[in-house]
Amino acid sequence: MSQLDDLKTAIKSRLGDLECVIGWEQGYDPLHATPLFIRSEADLDRLIIGPLAVHNLATYLTGWKGKKVGVVVKGCDSKSVIELLNEKLINRDDVVIFGLCCDGVVSQRKIRAALPADPGFVESVEIGADSLKVTVAGQAATLRLDDVRADKCRVCDTPDALVSDFLIGKAHTPAPAPSLKCQDEFEAKSDAEKFAFWQETMGRCIRCYACRNACPMCVCRDYCIATSRDPLWVSQENLPSENMMFQMIHVSHLAGRCTECGECERACPVDIPLMLLRRYMNKQVRDVFQHEAGKALDQTPPLLTFKVEEERINERGW
Amino acid sequence: MPAQDVRELRIVGFLCNWCSYGGADTAGVGRFTQPTDLRIIRVPCSGRIDPLFIVRALMNGADGVLVSGCHPRDCHYAEGNFYARRRLEMLKRFLPITGIDERRFEYTWVSASEGQRWQHVVTEFTRRIHELGPAPSFNPKSDVDWNALAVQASQGQGCPCHGSIQA
Amino acid sequence: MRIGVFICHCGSNIAGTVDCPSVAATALTYPDVVFSTDTMYACSEPGQDAIIQAVKDKNLDGVVVASCTPRMHEQTFRRAVERAGLNRYMFEMANIREHVSWIGKTKDLNTGKAAELVRMAVEKLRRNRPLMAKRFETTKRVLVIGGGVAGIQAALDCADGGQEVVLVEREQSIGGKMAKLDKTFPTVDCSSCVLGPKMVDIAQHPNITLYTCAEVESVGGYVGNFQVTVRRKATHVDWTKCTGCGLCVEKCPSRKHPDPFNENLCNAPSINIPFPQAIPKKAAINASSCLMLTKGKCGLCAKVCPVKCIDFEQKDELVNVDVGAIVVATGYDLFDWHKYPQYGEGRYKDVITSLQYERLLSASGPTGGHIKRPSDGKEPKNVVFIQCVGSRDKSVNRPYCSGFCCMYTAKQAILTKDHIPDSQSYVFYMDIRSPGKLYDEFVRRAMEEYGAQYVRGRVAMIYPKGDKLVVRGADTLAGTQVEVPADLVVLAVGAESAKGAVQLGEKLRVAPDQYGFFVESHPKLKPVETNTAGVFLAGACQGPKDIPASVGQGSAAASKVLGLLSKAMLESDPAVSRVNPARCVGCGKCIQTCPFGAIKEIQDRFGNPKAEVIDTVCQGCGICTVTCPQGAIQLEHFTDNQILAEVNALCPPKMFANFE
Repeated sequence: MSQLDDLKTAIKSRLGDLECVIGWEQGYDPLHATPLFIRSEADLDRLIIGPLAVHNLATYLTGWKGKKVGVVVKGCDSKSVIELLNEKLINRDDVVIFGLCCDGVVSQRKIRAALPADPGFVESVEIGADSLKVTVAGQAATLRLDDVRADKCRVCDTPDALVSDFLIGKAHTPAPAPSLKCQDEFEAKSDAEKFAFWQETMGRCIRCYACRNACPMCVCRDYCIATSRDPLWVSQENLPSENMMFQMIHVSHLAGRCTECGECERACPVDIPLMLLRRYMNKQVRDVFQHEAGKALDQTPPLLTFKVEEERINERGW
Repeated sequence: MPAQDVRELRIVGFLCNWCSYGGADTAGVGRFTQPTDLRIIRVPCSGRIDPLFIVRALMNGADGVLVSGCHPRDCHYAEGNFYARRRLEMLKRFLPITGIDERRFEYTWVSASEGQRWQHVVTEFTRRIHELGPAPSFNPKSDVDWNALAVQASQGQGCPCHGSIQA
Repeated sequence: MRIGVFICHCGSNIAGTVDCPSVAATALTYPDVVFSTDTMYACSEPGQDAIIQAVKDKNLDGVVVASCTPRMHEQTFRRAVERAGLNRYMFEMANIREHVSWIGKTKDLNTGKAAELVRMAVEKLRRNRPLMAKRFETTKRVLVIGGGVAGIQAALDCADGGQEVVLVEREQSIGGKMAKLDKTFPTVDCSSCVLGPKMVDIAQHPNITLYTCAEVESVGGYVGNFQVTVRRKATHVDWTKCTGCGLCVEKCPSRKHPDPFNENLCNAPSINIPFPQAIPKKAAINASSCLMLTKGKCGLCAKVCPVKCIDFEQKDELVNVDVGAIVVATGYDLFDWHKYPQYGEGRYKDVITSLQYERLLSASGPTGGHIKRPSDGKEPKNVVFIQCVGSRDKSVNRPYCSGFCCMYTAKQAILTKDHIPDSQSYVFYMDIRSPGKLYDEFVRRAMEEYGAQYVRGRVAMIYPKGDKLVVRGADTLAGTQVEVPADLVVLAVGAESAKGAVQLGEKLRVAPDQYGFFVESHPKLKPVETNTAGVFLAGACQGPKDIPASVGQGSAAASKVLGLLSKAMLESDPAVSRVNPARCVGCGKCIQTCPFGAIKEIQDRFGNPKAEVIDTVCQGCGICTVTCPQGAIQLEHFTDNQILAEVNALCPPKMFANFE
């Protein structure tokens, strides 16, 4: 039986006790998936998994708090579930976790860049072992899966779900790259270059809050301080500084909590590479607190606790 | 807004009421002369200082931000500065990726009796900020800048890796 | 809003380097400011009256005073504003003295800075709202920590004032350092004769509960309602039965450990009553040397005890006490003089501390009041006193003057002559510090009537020569080097903070200074208060002090306690955190980080978890406000919007286009 069939069997076995199970189905065209809320066995036919099932479905869990739901998670998504559990934002008893052993997902952005022209509507997609055949306007293009893999998959050390009630698929031995070239290159730039870069990218930001809404750890929803008058942290002015302020709020509230699922960057309609900020903050958290959000159950987020002597903070050093 | 005096840069201080604000008072009582750039905002505890206040000040064009609280273990509220230390350290380490010079932000501990230490901290920090000079503004200063930025943005100079397949 | 601004000249303190009228004129351009003026002394009675008058005349609903630090006069002006009929929180202060006029030299820069600080205060005030205090009851009981003379005085005064007192002492008996002294200056009256009756009063006072061999384990709560846990250390003697007959002390065969009460000059039995006047007069076993407790054999004391009160199985006991106020009177300890190589670092038996000398002089001491030097028990003829050992010396991190050493050295020189008429005393000193009633006269008597030779200079080294010690030092007045052959050398060691003071300070949330002495609220105007409401200081724990000053502070602390507890109800500071239940998602992060347990989880009417602040427990630190990502819990008077307004006032957001 295939991984998908195993998953369907597992979901079927629990669907009766659950409000719904969150998975993926095909979206407006064969290239794009969209979340699927499975309420009956009939819905199961539409379920898909694989490299196109990019969404981190853990994002929906806090919205279902208090109800029993199931969720299908990849390895990276499972970290978000763990972090939500650690912060008591969801109850373990209320969630049935269908964990996948994941072979990696694609980056739509990279596919778009790799195709000769903007694809618009894709007619068909054939997924091979290590290639992707995309047909647009009658013309087929074959892309190497490796070339269009999402950044997070290149450095992924948790392809298999870390927490699950059902673990489906064959376990992997992850071989993550030590770091991403684009991240290293960006970090190596001068302050002036980095500053100019953010000035420009934040000038693009339309503050649609897609990054926030896609983020599994952004649980404030209607009460986000970036969109409130009391407290009034960000003005309505469409200025790079205000947009950056919003991003800094997002980074600051995710410090020690971000599981690097990459949803913010994926959701951004104007291609702002938000993960540059996330990955850098996570690196600092790892360096100072030796903490990785979502890697283990029963961890306290590092900014919600302290040590009297901090071995790795040299606050008197200046 | 009045034209800024070139002799002064804009430095914002966040000081806890019990130790550092008292230390700054002690420095005043002792007539320990200091540069005048610093403007102090009094908060009850360094634990009240949201790192985002500092970001807000920097985004608004502050040239430097100085935070000071009670020495570790001496917090009037027992634990406030322990939380502050973690939060502020994270901010300080994060600033480089934004291109904001992390030297524009500093945090330290000064007790109510350390008037001289406060004088030293203010003098040193102000000297450092003057060496760095006025902070660049995040926002375009004129229509010309604004248009240039808009053109750049329309060309979509995104993440260096987004344009190419090689990551 | 209608805001009035008052720029204080503070005489010339501010006006000297700040153009106050110009600041007042600038302030008038700020939003909502309808009245602005400069005033000579805002805190004076006419100054306050002028504020009140302006509030009434101009129909103000908020006041900004730019003057000294709010740590000085915020309360003064809040009361004035209240007298004018406004809520006390509709007031802000700009500190243009300590933070401007006293530290900046350039007048135009100072004036600009002052104007901006006023702008900041105005912007904050525009976002203030009236806050009302909550009232709560207090526990009518006082904890006094430390049973030296300061603590004794504080305990007695509180008890006489009708409060219940719990006195906790670390040692076996109360009395502290004073109980070890032979005589006191400048009257040369017997120390234990003066102190003894007070100690007895402690034991007999119906309002006082005494715990000796006890230490404060933990302190929780807040002014009016502290919860204190006291650890009563095992004495292995049932004190409810012990009569203090002393039979056990007499029979104890283990006498190998030094006697701390006698400053280690002699050994003490393992079961002991430290001195005849000890309060409580009960025996206690030293667990580290007792044969029964270390080796499991002996038990002689248990056999001879007529009331069978020895209990080798006794364990430490924790006692919980609720109190409304705490007096800290933990005193001082002596500087460890062994750090000084020039005094032999402990190689010479006849180099002793002044407190050891005090025990040699005392009739209840190890020599029965005869001065015998430790090495061979001979009566010394030449006694050399060296002052400022561990005082006024930066090289050992003790730059402060211990204050009382000059006086007790003079006293000891006088007593030496009284005990040994053919003796000669020499005193090496830096300066004589004898301010105090009859103090300088006393030192002069030591020199003139008792012939003590005062040599102004430091001692470079002490070396042995035969059975004598030669003290070599400088005589800076004569400009020569001097060598004095001494039979006995007495070091006037200075005071340092008591052992464990810093740790106790952490429990009490009272900050120690860099030397471990507790910091008072204000060096002049609040000498016994601390920055933690309800905790007061008495005696040398605040800084070195002689007996009269310690007693005076003990009484002062007691009067503060009595004043506090005489109120039927206390008012809590309304500047505490408040939850906006609509914004709260019930994640409980604030509950997790609150150091005081002041936030609890409740359920709203839909069963959703929400945070709620317990007003009287909240101390107003604001840790929770920063923890909450939704900004749902806001510290009143220091809300996000108030602080952001201050930030924006200092760094006005740069607008690309003005849409107004």
